[in-house]
Amino acid sequence: MKELRVDIAVIGGGPAGLAAALEAKRCGVEKIMIIERDTELGGILQQCIHDGFGLHRFQKRMSGGQYAQSFIDEVEQTDIEVKLDTMVLEITSENAIYACNKQDGMLKIVCGAIILAMGCRERTASQVMIYGYRPAGVLTAGKVQQYINMEGYLPGKNAVILGSGDIGLIMARRMTLEHIHVIGVYEVMSTPGGLTRNIVQCLNDYQIPLHLATTVTCIHGKDRIEGVTVAKVDEKRNVIPGTEEYIPCDLLVLAVGLIPENELSVKAGIEIDPHTKGPVLDNYFMTSIPGIFAAGNVAAVFDLVDYVSQSGEIAARGAAAYIKGELTKEPSFELVVPGENVNFIVPQRLRKGECKDETVFFMRVKTPRKMAIMEFQCGDKTLLTRRCQYVAPPEMLSCKVAVTEDGSPLRIDMKEAEIR
Amino acid sequence: MIENMKQVLKETFPDIALRLSADSRGIVTIMGECDTWQKVVDVGHLAAAQPGVKNIVNELTVKGMAIPQKDYTPYCKKGEELGVVENVDIVIVGAGISGCGIARELSKYKLNILVVDMGDDVATGATKANNGDIHPGHAAKPGTLKAKLNVLGNRMYTKWSQELGFELQRCGAMYVITDNRYLYALEKALALAKTNEVDGVELVDGKRALQLEPKLAEVGVQPVAALWLPSMGLVEPYKVAVALAENATQNGVRFWFNCVVGDVLAENGEVRGIVTSKGIIRASYVINCAGIYADEISAMAGDKSYTIHPRKGTIAILDKNTAPEFDSMTGVFSGVSNVKKNSESKGGGMCRTPEWNILLGPSATEVPDKEDIATTPEDLSYAMGTNQNPKAGYSNIIRFFAGSRPADYMEDFVIEMSPVTHGFVNVGAIQSPGLASAPAIAEMVEGILKRDFEDRGGMPINPAFSPIRHREVEFRHLTREQQDELIRRDPRYGRIICRCETITEGEIMDAIHSSVVPTSIDAIKRRTRAGMGRCQGGFCQSRVLEILARELGLDWVDVNLKGEGTNVLVASNRPKITEEREGGFERTSG
Repeated sequence: MKELRVDIAVIGGGPAGLAAALEAKRCGVEKIMIIERDTELGGILQQCIHDGFGLHRFQKRMSGGQYAQSFIDEVEQTDIEVKLDTMVLEITSENAIYACNKQDGMLKIVCGAIILAMGCRERTASQVMIYGYRPAGVLTAGKVQQYINMEGYLPGKNAVILGSGDIGLIMARRMTLEHIHVIGVYEVMSTPGGLTRNIVQCLNDYQIPLHLATTVTCIHGKDRIEGVTVAKVDEKRNVIPGTEEYIPCDLLVLAVGLIPENELSVKAGIEIDPHTKGPVLDNYFMTSIPGIFAAGNVAAVFDLVDYVSQSGEIAARGAAAYIKGELTKEPSFELVVPGENVNFIVPQRLRKGECKDETVFFMRVKTPRKMAIMEFQCGDKTLLTRRCQYVAPPEMLSCKVAVTEDGSPLRIDMKEAEIR
Repeated sequence: MIENMKQVLKETFPDIALRLSADSRGIVTIMGECDTWQKVVDVGHLAAAQPGVKNIVNELTVKGMAIPQKDYTPYCKKGEELGVVENVDIVIVGAGISGCGIARELSKYKLNILVVDMGDDVATGATKANNGDIHPGHAAKPGTLKAKLNVLGNRMYTKWSQELGFELQRCGAMYVITDNRYLYALEKALALAKTNEVDGVELVDGKRALQLEPKLAEVGVQPVAALWLPSMGLVEPYKVAVALAENATQNGVRFWFNCVVGDVLAENGEVRGIVTSKGIIRASYVINCAGIYADEISAMAGDKSYTIHPRKGTIAILDKNTAPEFDSMTGVFSGVSNVKKNSESKGGGMCRTPEWNILLGPSATEVPDKEDIATTPEDLSYAMGTNQNPKAGYSNIIRFFAGSRPADYMEDFVIEMSPVTHGFVNVGAIQSPGLASAPAIAEMVEGILKRDFEDRGGMPINPAFSPIRHREVEFRHLTREQQDELIRRDPRYGRIICRCETITEGEIMDAIHSSVVPTSIDAIKRRTRAGMGRCQGGFCQSRVLEILARELGLDWVDVNLKGEGTNVLVASNRPKITEEREGGFERTSG
């Protein structure tokens, strides 16, 4: 078995992994390796042929492929090693990686530090309790996107979309452009799951109806899907009897949520935050296992790729500091506590005495507010107060705070405020 | 017999006008109209419980309900158009666990054997929706064919798994009590198991129970006694069927898929063959392993002697990240059951797959439609109710599905040479414990044919027969060194197609190039586990589709999910590259 040694191994060559590898290089790390399971770098961005990427980072509208390519081009200018079509099977307790591919066989990669950047996967029909038959023509939105954009095939002609998250909305527009009749987008929640700009640009512009507080309860058709039953739901998401309606269709597209892909992390014994479903991170984006860092959708599902890249760079700076021995071996932590109307916040804890620079936080709210006041409090000290116009669960909030510690947990609230 | 039965049925169902008739064999036919399907089933069961009954043909209807009936005319028409396409010694109808087991058993003989199935693969009916339990045989009613064949079949599985190269885990089963008040229940169960001659069954004390299943202590269960059934086993039912079919094929048996039987041919009380959607197959013997449709195939042979009433079962498979609490199949009896069990049906409980997923169910619901394998919230809730693991719940489900048990009203197997049509062998009503009984069923059918061949000097031995089928490579179960070595030998094992289950391209290629070729994405899933994990093919479906298209020479839009007419993709959205434009599209400049 081949054994390799690297300073930093990045698992996943999507936007988080690419940004992490490049930033690590900028920090002067010598041997960096990106391990990617697909046959090319870029991750899910490669199938995102729509624009809207890079607004924050590059101040221009790019397609997913373009955004990824700008990083890939940069990687190619460096000596970062890239292993494609290579699957990581295990992270050992000594922070070594077992990975395999056709050329190298099984590889044991001994790492100074590891950055997890495996992204996320989609929830399936069984995971959202859709009953009935299990015919062909029931696909997740990402799979539909791949079949249409990458492979050049249409999986149906008349589609029902369940879920109004951004992927569902993007696919509503994409399928319409491919002459697939999108009958409607159904959303179990009473508010849309995706960004407002996508509601406007992907549904309203194409007169695609959005049915809120409505879900798909049953799939019909034994061979290929013939239709679905949709029904209204109450506030507790229970089906309201008598509201069932049969909708004929030959494709059900599921955009019902993303789950960070933490199988490797869990097997390695990394502590997972039940709210983000990603590893518990500190301000260097280091997980509960020293030397293992996480970035991008494996840490928490982000809405914008710009944030994903940013998180990769934070983790890379952390990993670089770690291998240079700049981080304390046995740190103690201060908790970051999600307060009023905060669903989750990353990082979940701060290394005591190691918050030199401003710390970047990413968070999502629980319920939409027209106006909210973001407040960072440490004991009696208020570190930051910021008015935020229109906050909602689909939109991630990001801010930089200079944390001054005084031995109490850091609490973040999104207090409701009046519109001035 | 009829008069007594009329009396009993009238007492219980005074509102239903029933017409009963019986033949000399004790086959009772019931006609009339009920107001619900459940009553149809209840009448059938009550009639079956009366003395002297051999079996029940239940032709009761439900007021206002059109009970779906399979229309065989198109298959007959097609078959007659095509004419005689084959002339064989034995045709086996149905490639489920019974059909495959019998085919493999009979491949010991130099006979021309053909297996036909309406599905696109082996094990597409009840077998694929089975929970994989190789029951010890303690639960079957003594004296039934089920009781006898279950215990025998269970015993024979060790040899099957060794010869055929499939995973059998003799995990053992344990019924634990934590209160001596329930000792009577264990004693009763022990007596029943002993009557059925279940292997190794014993009543053990709490200390021994903890030795046998140390994990009881980990979850705070303090057993006072337990019934220990060491012969309990676990398999993946579809993999057993595949192994049997592959071995049978190696020994000369042929399989025809997507082949639907429309009629059975018989003359002067002798079977002559079958009419199918692929033509007429002449045969000296027809072995009916048609599962849910076995009663209808039997009726086609002129032997309408039982009725299959489908009993739907829903199973939930949980994510491997929630490990089963126990290594053996362990049930802790606390006096209260949180599931309402239907006394007629063997509803299942908490179990696990040989790959260590928690498996819950199946439920047991009587349904009028034989093809109704739709899941419902009620059935899933039953299956989830069998869960005893506090760490597992709805959020751990990665897949739930339903299948239908082919139950008759005697709730026993029907295995016999038809007394009406010689050469037609019924292997019907094979529901639980049909999987566990499969080896014994195959042997029993072999015996039936052997006896029939006696006056012709016995069945001719197949000199080329080999009982051995080599187990396929399972990359995930190898050590890292072995994996490395394997990839060096064949680099295709180095490419992981299914991330969740760690399934390689090499394994998928092995499956496609095996003797029973899988042609759909689900057929690949059943053989290799690709797509069986937590993402349910979210990552690998397109890769499997691509490999299938490449290897079988299919267009992508012709690759099926699970049988004819289940194509995943419906059209290409890119213009076809015509010959003169090959190599790229012309660009118009300016």
